[in-house]
Amino acid sequence: MAVESSFAEPSIEFLRTLAAQQSVHPEDTDLEVVLGFLSAILPALAEIERQLPPEIPPAGLP
Amino acid sequence: MSVALLAERLRDGELSPREAVQSYLDRIERIDGEVNAYITVRAEEALAQAEALEQVRERGPLWGVPLAVKDVIDVAGAHTTAASRILADNIAAHDAEVVERLQRAGAVVLGKLNTHEFAYGAMTTSSHFGPAHNPWSLDRICGGSSGGSGAAVAADLAAGTLGTDTAGSIRIPSCFCGVTGLRPSTGLVSNRGVVPVSWTLDTVGPIARSAEDCALLLDVIAGSRTELVGGVEGLRVGVVDALLGRADPRVAATVQAAIDELAALGAIVEPTQVPLLDEAGTINQLVMLPEAANAHLPWLRERLADYGPDVRGRLLAGLLLPPTAYVTGQRARRWFDDGVGRLFERVDVLVAPAMPVTAPRIGEDTVDVRGQTIPYRLALIPFNSPWSLAGLPVLSLPCGFVDGLPVGLALVGRRLEERTVLRAAHAFQQATDWHDRRPPLEPAVALAPSTG
Repeated sequence: MAVESSFAEPSIEFLRTLAAQQSVHPEDTDLEVVLGFLSAILPALAEIERQLPPEIPPAGLP
Repeated sequence: MSVALLAERLRDGELSPREAVQSYLDRIERIDGEVNAYITVRAEEALAQAEALEQVRERGPLWGVPLAVKDVIDVAGAHTTAASRILADNIAAHDAEVVERLQRAGAVVLGKLNTHEFAYGAMTTSSHFGPAHNPWSLDRICGGSSGGSGAAVAADLAAGTLGTDTAGSIRIPSCFCGVTGLRPSTGLVSNRGVVPVSWTLDTVGPIARSAEDCALLLDVIAGSRTELVGGVEGLRVGVVDALLGRADPRVAATVQAAIDELAALGAIVEPTQVPLLDEAGTINQLVMLPEAANAHLPWLRERLADYGPDVRGRLLAGLLLPPTAYVTGQRARRWFDDGVGRLFERVDVLVAPAMPVTAPRIGEDTVDVRGQTIPYRLALIPFNSPWSLAGLPVLSLPCGFVDGLPVGLALVGRRLEERTVLRAAHAFQQATDWHDRRPPLEPAVALAPSTG
């Protein structure tokens, strides 16, 4: 059974908070670059999650 | 000069290790100001090591051969900068295992080679120490991240080099610089003493003039024993048509001619479809980005402003992906592996263009392919990431030129079957001379003792 999934595009404020939780403090200009990157990869990630057969374990496991 | 020939002439006493080392040091002094392949030249140490070798009775397979390594690979007492501001003052306490193995085989390490910052990019233009320049056209990139390693071999600034490859970093510069480079199967070669990008994708590998040289270097760093005899008669070669169709038409035509040559040599060539080829680039990113962010986490916290903007952006993207993305990536990697494994039941080797274009000019971050202008970074992903993701051995070898710039053919083998791709590449190079072409620099290192 394939799993439906999607990712909402995060805000700069959300990314700043997430980074701060990990004690990393980027400038907004850096976060705008990240946002651009995520806007490309998140739909692709959602599509892979949609297609990925649920019984497949992570690589490296038997 | 090739590693094999130089090693033979050293063994035969036609020149001494010191003479060989001095010849390369002289050439580095004359030419590397233009190429910028080296970050560190170990002139005194290399000459001292060469002199010491002349007193040694047991002579390894690389006795006296001057080599160089990418500046993410530790050489005890030398800087390992990773071409970064962050590690600009870092001096390695120990040799990386691959360096130990090279030196045990008698090789002399001339120095440390330029790279994209932290080996995390495909241009070698972000280096804190300035960009590496392509010996075939100095206004163009070498590719990366092992750009200095490719340029040093092409410009004859070392007999052979080591690079590292996470998602194309040996193959891309080998292609753009017109030399032969092998990404070994992931896990075959030790990464101890190597600055990591992504633990489950990184591998060290050789860049040299020929498949024969790559085999010599691989056997030393991996402890393997590669026989190159046998040719390609009956070898089942699957052509990844989807990648040929995405390459610049002149690059694709050049690669097709190389595939025709393999067929003329007796290979059984057939078109092949790689399952999940389009998804593999994304899957590779889902694995690589979080692993790189994790490896860099202490510096992301303390030295964020000291990264170049492109590397900083990629590292932050890895930090800020959804938490489940990495697990999805590792599961999808298994999914991709399974499909590739089934494919290799029908073929022995896959072939494709190593890159879709020739080397872009320094400063260009887009390429034009079949009427479309696309980011360079995105153009290269389908040609490189799938094979890294599956941990397969991949060799890029020169197979022609477009507008005076090298074109590379990629040969992909089953996991841990380096000998198959090396044997096929060797057969191709026995029948062609693309790997013998040299860039328009001054003549290469002579065999005669150095006269300055």
